Amino acid sequence: MAEIKKVAVIGAGVMGAAIAAHVANAGIPCVLLDIVPKDAKNRNAFAEGAVEKMLKTKPAPFMHAKNARLITTGNLEDHLNLLADVDWICEAIIENPAIKRDLYQKLEGVRKPGSIVTSNTSTIPLATLLEGLPDSFARDFGITHFFNPPRYMRLFELVKGPQTRDDAIAALAHFGDVVLGKEVVRCKDTPGFIANRIGIYWSYVAMSLAFKHGLTVEETDALVGKPMGIPKTGIFGLGDLTGIDLAPHVNASMLRLLPATDAFPQAFEPEGKLVRLIGKMIEGGYTGRKGKGGFYRARGKEVLDLETGEYRPKQKAALDSVNASRKGLRALVEHGDKGGKYSWDLLSRVLSYAASLIPEISDDILSVDRAMKTGYAWKFGPFEQIDQLGTRWFADRLRAEGRPVPRIVDVADGRPLYKEEGEKAYYLTLSGDYAEIPVADDAWSLADKKRGKARIAGNRGASIWDIGDGVACLEFHTKMNAIDADILNMVKEAANLHKKGYKALVIGHDGDNFSVGANVGIALFQANVAMWPVLEGGIAEGQNIYKALKYSPFPVVAAVAGMALGGGCEITLHCDAVQAHAESYMGLVEVGVGVLPGWGGCKEMITRHVLNKKRPGGPMPPLATVFEMISTAKVSTSAAEAREMLFLRETDAITMNRRRVLADAKARALAMVEGYQPPKPVELNLAGASGKAALDIAVEGFALQGKATKHDVVVSGAVARVLTGGDKDITEVTTEDDLYALEREGFMSLIRTNATLDRIEHMLTTGKPLRN
Amino acid sequence: MPSYTAPLTDMRFVLHEVLKIQNYANIPGFADATPDTIDAILEGGAQIMQEVMQPLNQIGDREGCKWNNGEVTTPAGFKEAYKAYCEGGWPGLTADPEYGGQGLPHVIGIALSEMMCSANLAFGMYPGLSHGAYEALHAYGTPEQKAMYLPKLVSGEWTGTMNLTEPHCGTDLGLMRTKAEPQADGSYKITGTKIFISAGEHDLAPNIIHLVLAKIPGGPPGIKGVSLFVVPKFLVNADGSLGARNGVSCGSLEHKMGIHGNATAVLNYDGATGWLVGEPHKGMRAMFVMMNAARLGVGIQGLGIAEVAYQNAATYAKDRLQMRSISGTKFPDKPADPIIVHPDIRRMLLSIRAFAEGGRALGLWAGLMVDLARKHPDDEQKKINDDMLALLMPVVKAYFTDYGYESATMAQQVLGGHGYIAEWGMEQFVRDARITMIYEGANGVQALDLVGRKMPEGFGRLLRRFFHLVSGYIQDNMMDPDIGREFVQPLAKAFARLQTATGFIAEASLKNPDEAGAASMDYLRIFALTAIAFMWAQMAKTAAEKIKSGGGVAGKDFYETKIAVGRFFVDRMLPDTASHLAKLQAGAKSMMALDAANF
Ligand SMILES: Cc1cc2nc3c(=O)[nH]c(=O)nc-3n(C[C@H](O)[C@H](O)[C@H](O)COP(=O)(O)OP(=O)(O)OC[C@H]3O[C@@H](n4cnc5c(N)ncnc54)[C@H](O)[C@@H]3O)c2cc1C
Repeated sequence: MAEIKKVAVIGAGVMGAAIAAHVANAGIPCVLLDIVPKDAKNRNAFAEGAVEKMLKTKPAPFMHAKNARLITTGNLEDHLNLLADVDWICEAIIENPAIKRDLYQKLEGVRKPGSIVTSNTSTIPLATLLEGLPDSFARDFGITHFFNPPRYMRLFELVKGPQTRDDAIAALAHFGDVVLGKEVVRCKDTPGFIANRIGIYWSYVAMSLAFKHGLTVEETDALVGKPMGIPKTGIFGLGDLTGIDLAPHVNASMLRLLPATDAFPQAFEPEGKLVRLIGKMIEGGYTGRKGKGGFYRARGKEVLDLETGEYRPKQKAALDSVNASRKGLRALVEHGDKGGKYSWDLLSRVLSYAASLIPEISDDILSVDRAMKTGYAWKFGPFEQIDQLGTRWFADRLRAEGRPVPRIVDVADGRPLYKEEGEKAYYLTLSGDYAEIPVADDAWSLADKKRGKARIAGNRGASIWDIGDGVACLEFHTKMNAIDADILNMVKEAANLHKKGYKALVIGHDGDNFSVGANVGIALFQANVAMWPVLEGGIAEGQNIYKALKYSPFPVVAAVAGMALGGGCEITLHCDAVQAHAESYMGLVEVGVGVLPGWGGCKEMITRHVLNKKRPGGPMPPLATVFEMISTAKVSTSAAEAREMLFLRETDAITMNRRRVLADAKARALAMVEGYQPPKPVELNLAGASGKAALDIAVEGFALQGKATKHDVVVSGAVARVLTGGDKDITEVTTEDDLYALEREGFMSLIRTNATLDRIEHMLTTGKPLRN
Repeated sequence: MPSYTAPLTDMRFVLHEVLKIQNYANIPGFADATPDTIDAILEGGAQIMQEVMQPLNQIGDREGCKWNNGEVTTPAGFKEAYKAYCEGGWPGLTADPEYGGQGLPHVIGIALSEMMCSANLAFGMYPGLSHGAYEALHAYGTPEQKAMYLPKLVSGEWTGTMNLTEPHCGTDLGLMRTKAEPQADGSYKITGTKIFISAGEHDLAPNIIHLVLAKIPGGPPGIKGVSLFVVPKFLVNADGSLGARNGVSCGSLEHKMGIHGNATAVLNYDGATGWLVGEPHKGMRAMFVMMNAARLGVGIQGLGIAEVAYQNAATYAKDRLQMRSISGTKFPDKPADPIIVHPDIRRMLLSIRAFAEGGRALGLWAGLMVDLARKHPDDEQKKINDDMLALLMPVVKAYFTDYGYESATMAQQVLGGHGYIAEWGMEQFVRDARITMIYEGANGVQALDLVGRKMPEGFGRLLRRFFHLVSGYIQDNMMDPDIGREFVQPLAKAFARLQTATGFIAEASLKNPDEAGAASMDYLRIFALTAIAFMWAQMAKTAAEKIKSGGGVAGKDFYETKIAVGRFFVDRMLPDTASHLAKLQAGAKSMMALDAANF
């Protein structure tokens, strides 16, 4: 299998450019070509413009601005030669088979023998694309279908043609998975592949049924949101996000390709209220968030009335069925109000449809669930949802309503579609037998390791698991994985696992966020009732526990993904190594709630920056950097940025695929076992009072310009005092324990102020920082 | 016959020397309240209370109010007394000058209230409820409503009432049935029965302005669908003159344990015309606005009874000769020693006095908070005071009235059998005091409010206002040569118990919500004792300073006595915090174990 070391993307539209950006995010050089604009002065304007625009786009397609430098831009007339050494050419041009085929003909002359070509088409069948092309091309050709935005959406649909080389597909699968970090789902060459086939139908039905059941936009989105495991934008909100004008196009192409007997053309009403409303909206420029508004406008304060087509103030949806859904999906669809009826109408159609497409679009249910979860961000795939309803109950109700029961549900005959037995998990196949869900050695989730096992230790907030080969894993499971006393107790226990014969420890879990920080609710209450010794004891306890972790006699590796903030970031700073998912958002954000990092965050960051060999000389530059980072609560927007900020060291590593983070962390931990030495304590000479004075002056400047609030000045002052070593001057040595003591002192001075307590309360009650 | 002398020196001590209200000249209304003005007002108030109100107290109790075919006659002398009260300008003392009030600080009003409650609790409730109605309309009325009603409520020409209670709903106002149907002209037709309405019908004033809670049909169910209405007994013409009789009538008066001089009316609303005050369905919000001030007022009732009961019991104890002192005869020339020599008599008298003086300081401080919460120019300070007041109100209301009643029975006990005989007036104090524990939110519900609502608010934000203050005070004064050992260290112990209790409830109630309810009353008492100890520490410090520096509102003797009474509080009352803590930590288990059927 040839490794893909260089990539080209043809077509610098939204999708193509963002794919190129993501290839660059993976550290792979990428050529980006587009046509020459008519009468252009700059013949590369399209590709160059796209890269420039992406540097300003939010959410950012690039994980780091410098990644843009990995993209070589050009045009299809002057720069085809750039393709000569490319291993994979990904075509993402206009959805027109003739134009695509033309391009492929051109490529045939220039591309390197054995290189792979794929199309990012969402709807054109592979066979159509290959018409008139030589077998040599067909053997190197497949479809790779990304989801927008490619950096963030994890699904990567991969379609093999009848002639496609197996090793080409294997190379793409490996590249998509390991290098790009995507969830690779093999699809058949059917219209819309898996995700869009179901998703486009779902989206149309979810919207049009709202009219039938007399639901408002708000009510619909309240149902097609959390209750159904859909992101909280709901269905109309999602439409606004992706663009209303997209709907007619995707609907039309699906309708063109699908047989008339398919459920989508059956359900589609070309003259229906929905289609007419959308037509009217597009005409008026109401194309969603990018236009004058969509189903919502004025930042969500106004909503389109589905009956009148006029905007009106948003009303909070008050449906009993939404409350009932907390008891589960079945409680939702069994509820008697209009929300319950709508939900059954929608879910019964969508789940039946998905089930009826086995084996047409996929032989196994697993791929379908994975595709919907990673391509449409559904919390549960359609087959998981059927299991939630119960296959028996679902089948019975369909039968009672005189509707067909899909084969896979019939085959289940009351058995669940998924089951777990011992340490293994299984899914049901059309044959009626269960097949094992394979777990690769180098890509697994903690759930795979926990299955059928008892934890080594644990409490309400955290658990410790044996993940094999003498390695233990400390899992957090508080709300948002906020650090509380329970977690601290388990960290303490985990740091001693070497006594039980464990060789190494991984700290990580399957959650979206590693940890959002310390749970400040309890601290706030304690501070409010002036329990100062208890509070200070809590800080000291956290410091001691993190310190013990750092100096424990075996390697500790943090497996970070998502947010690692505040106290959650501080724990990673005390680990021997961090294996970070590329989407890691790390930062010491304590000042947002008016305190400073008190569990060694100030200490670790000033130490790292002072000892950083690449930094400029003198005591001030590292001090200024760390001070700015902490006093403005800077958070990295990716692991790449975290590395630049030194939240990650050079020795720390980044994993692109979320499902590989734990496995990589474990491997890293094992690699450190041999000859492991705990770190040596360091001593620093910090800038002292004069350094603090310089920082104070800077902060006062910000205050005068209105960039820092009154309390920002106080909090920054406390941070500055810690980072400069307190009362010591530059000739005196500051130890790790000195810094811990300074952190405690600074924390306590702040937590006693009203302004800090107001900040914490505000954060806890509104989720937003208070600028006081 | 009991007597009453207003404790003016003590009030002046608290106002001028402990709270130092002269330092608040930046708050509207305070600039006019110079120490001299305040003293003059207090003396004027003392005079009318002592000379006009107090002599009517027993008469009012004996005669009670009389119902005759919907009309109610107050006891002899009440009408004249009310006239004198209004002519003195007392109803408008703290009211908004825009409506004819004098705009004086609320804290001064608290001192006057205390005197009124000591002198004649039943009478005091007529103007007291008018003030409640004034507050509600002032906060939420339309400009027209304000113009129509406020000047006459402020002058006392008309009186007011608050109508919440119905036969089947007292604590749980969500069960309310009285309904208000909207009319084409924007008014509402109110229909239903209200019971236990204080000052609901009487002959003191030509018109009564009823503030009535009722439900607009079709509104949200329960407490969220309650609205507030103003319903005058006589409709008012555009020129302010009285018009037709409104459809509200007094069906009967309740026969009751005490406060006989106050009419407790059953009011029947039969399509009476009312007007919405504030927003529809937001009636409880309007109620809450005045609730803090109203609860403080009821707390002061307990205090007032304690003070007057103390005065009479102390006088009696110095006169009454029974038995000899166990440590040896003190008055050999008399046939027996006065009972004041007996330790247990002293225990009772000092308990009342230490409560009354500490409570007075706390009550006046709370009164000051009302002013600061409403009028402080700095919003942050407004909020802090509002928080603190909200926190302290259930504490003050419940503890002051519980202990006010306790005080009345202790004072009664000092008089022995004579305490049980009507002529001496002590049993009236006991009976009058009893209602204060029940109305304006029964004390058990106050305790629940403290632990269930006030404690968790903002993760303990309300607690912070008090806890940080006390914690800082302790830190600053722990080593004070005058009060450190005797006052601050015991305060620190009590405060630590309060913190422990707070932490216990916060944690225990997460697992079992009944824990909070089970702990609530003991918690409230720890809180109250700590708060009063905090006041005593400050008073003792001031007194010690005055003894050293000389000068002040009274002679050295006063300050030395003050410290001595304070020592009694610290030694003999504050330790109750330990037993309350122990009870509270025992948890809800034994309290909840019995099945309802086994009661
Ligand atoms: C003389 C007098 C004058 C009054 N004046 C007025 C007035 O002017 N206007 C007016 O509207 N009302 C007035 N009231 C009514 C008074 O406010 C109510 O009686 C009082 O609120 C209690 O209501 P209730 O009698 O229905 O007792 P209930 O609500 O039935 O309470 C009975 C007992 O249960 C306790 N309780 C209830 N719920 C709880 C709980 N969740 N947890 C713990 N304990 C609980 C209470 O504390 C109380 O001890 C007056 C009453 C009297 C006797």
